Amino acid sequence: MTEHLGYETLIDYMHAGLTPEQDAQVYAHLESCAVCRSEYDSELALTDSLRTYVAQDAREMPASVKAEIWARVRDARPSAIAHISDWFRPAVAIPMAAAIALAAYFGTAYIGPRGPAPIDAAYFLQDHASLASTVPFSDRSNPDAADFQTSNAPTAVDPVAVSTTASYMADATP
Amino acid sequence: MPLRKRLFSLFAALAVTLAATAASPRVDPAQLLREAVGAYGKLSYVGQIQNVDFGSSHTNAVLFRVEHRAPDLLRRWYLAPESLYGDSIISHGDMEYDVDVHQRRVVVARDDAVDDQVALDDNFDLLLRNYKAILGPNDTVAGRPAFEVLLVNKYTGETVIRLSLDSTTKLVLQRERFGSTGAVTNQMRFEQIRYTASIPSQVFDVPGGYRRVKGQNHGLPSNDLARVVRAAGFDARGPRLLPEGFLPVTGDVTDVQGVRTLHVMYSDGLRTISLFENARGAAVDMSHYTIHAAKVRNYDAQYVEDGSTTLLAWQQGSLHFALVGDLTVNELTRIGASV
Repeated sequence: MTEHLGYETLIDYMHAGLTPEQDAQVYAHLESCAVCRSEYDSELALTDSLRTYVAQDAREMPASVKAEIWARVRDARPSAIAHISDWFRPAVAIPMAAAIALAAYFGTAYIGPRGPAPIDAAYFLQDHASLASTVPFSDRSNPDAADFQTSNAPTAVDPVAVSTTASYMADATP
Repeated sequence: MPLRKRLFSLFAALAVTLAATAASPRVDPAQLLREAVGAYGKLSYVGQIQNVDFGSSHTNAVLFRVEHRAPDLLRRWYLAPESLYGDSIISHGDMEYDVDVHQRRVVVARDDAVDDQVALDDNFDLLLRNYKAILGPNDTVAGRPAFEVLLVNKYTGETVIRLSLDSTTKLVLQRERFGSTGAVTNQMRFEQIRYTASIPSQVFDVPGGYRRVKGQNHGLPSNDLARVVRAAGFDARGPRLLPEGFLPVTGDVTDVQGVRTLHVMYSDGLRTISLFENARGAAVDMSHYTIHAAKVRNYDAQYVEDGSTTLLAWQQGSLHFALVGDLTVNELTRIGASV
């Protein structure tokens, strides 16, 4: 490399931004070119001065001020809104949503007030009538009315059935 | 008066009394009742019956034709109310077929309790123990002469049932039940009756072409109540207070909609009370009835009336109770409070 190094190349060299082959060529050039070496050293000096200035600007806070700030942070109570917003932080909200979903899926059969379905009152009345049929002169131990388990929509009677009934009404009275 | 004349008068009076006694046969009311209980299984007849259930605020009445061929074939044809007109119930022993012509379906159910002769005999013994049978004036029902028998509770002196028994066949032609207030709660009465042995079998045939629907079956109850209560599987409770003469007579344990339900029936031979209980939190659905509020001790309760039958339900701790009987709600509430 006979030409002098460009400014961009020197900066990239300083920040290790060149390929290994370019880095080797620049290194060799700086060893043999006093102009480029001087320019490179000037850039290094400027960079060091900037770092020194930044470091001096970041001054340490006095210990008394730091203590006062931490005391106020500890004493401060979060507002209601802050409380609510805490629940929506991803770190809290996502596990909570997952827990609710699992409880809804697996838990409803075991928790909560849901009992078995109520039993129709007709069951109790019919079962009572069934056992009561073993009592003399009860409804079902004699041929009187019994529970009829059908709907009550009125339609015409079967006339054939009625005439059959009437046809054998021969009196066989003892 | 000389002694000879006095003796003659005495013997004459005795002879007249004996002759009168011999002329009118003695009627033993208890024997009448025994014959009445067995009459249904021995007699065949056709007729028309009216049955009326008097509730505390409303009345249910039905009119139906009946064909009965001994011992256990029966068909009832409903004539009224209009909503039941044409429907019928056919019974073959413990099988019952409710023929619903309106929905063209037959509801089939079995009731083993119908054949429970042991329970019938036990209850008849209870009846004789707790009731006094008194002959009333002779009666005529459906054109037939009848003996009237009153069954009077020995403890309360109240007439609970009045029966009119066919004087020849001893069949019950009329029955009236009375509540504790003296009001009539039920009346069954033959409007017509003819005894006949020639009822065609086809009358008792279940009609074809109808959809068959399974009804509510009832298994054979047990009088081994200790075993029944153990089978319930929970700490069952019973009433400490029952009307005089009532005893626990029979019971069963049934899974109703998956809920194990204990049913114990108490009887005094004529009247019955059923106590149902479960420990699974299954309440009673009364939504098809008019619901009334009540209290069993401090517990909120509800009751409904179905004709002369009352159903009272309440929850006590983990147990749900239902008390059913032909008693007033006040009577049931008192019994429930002792559970």
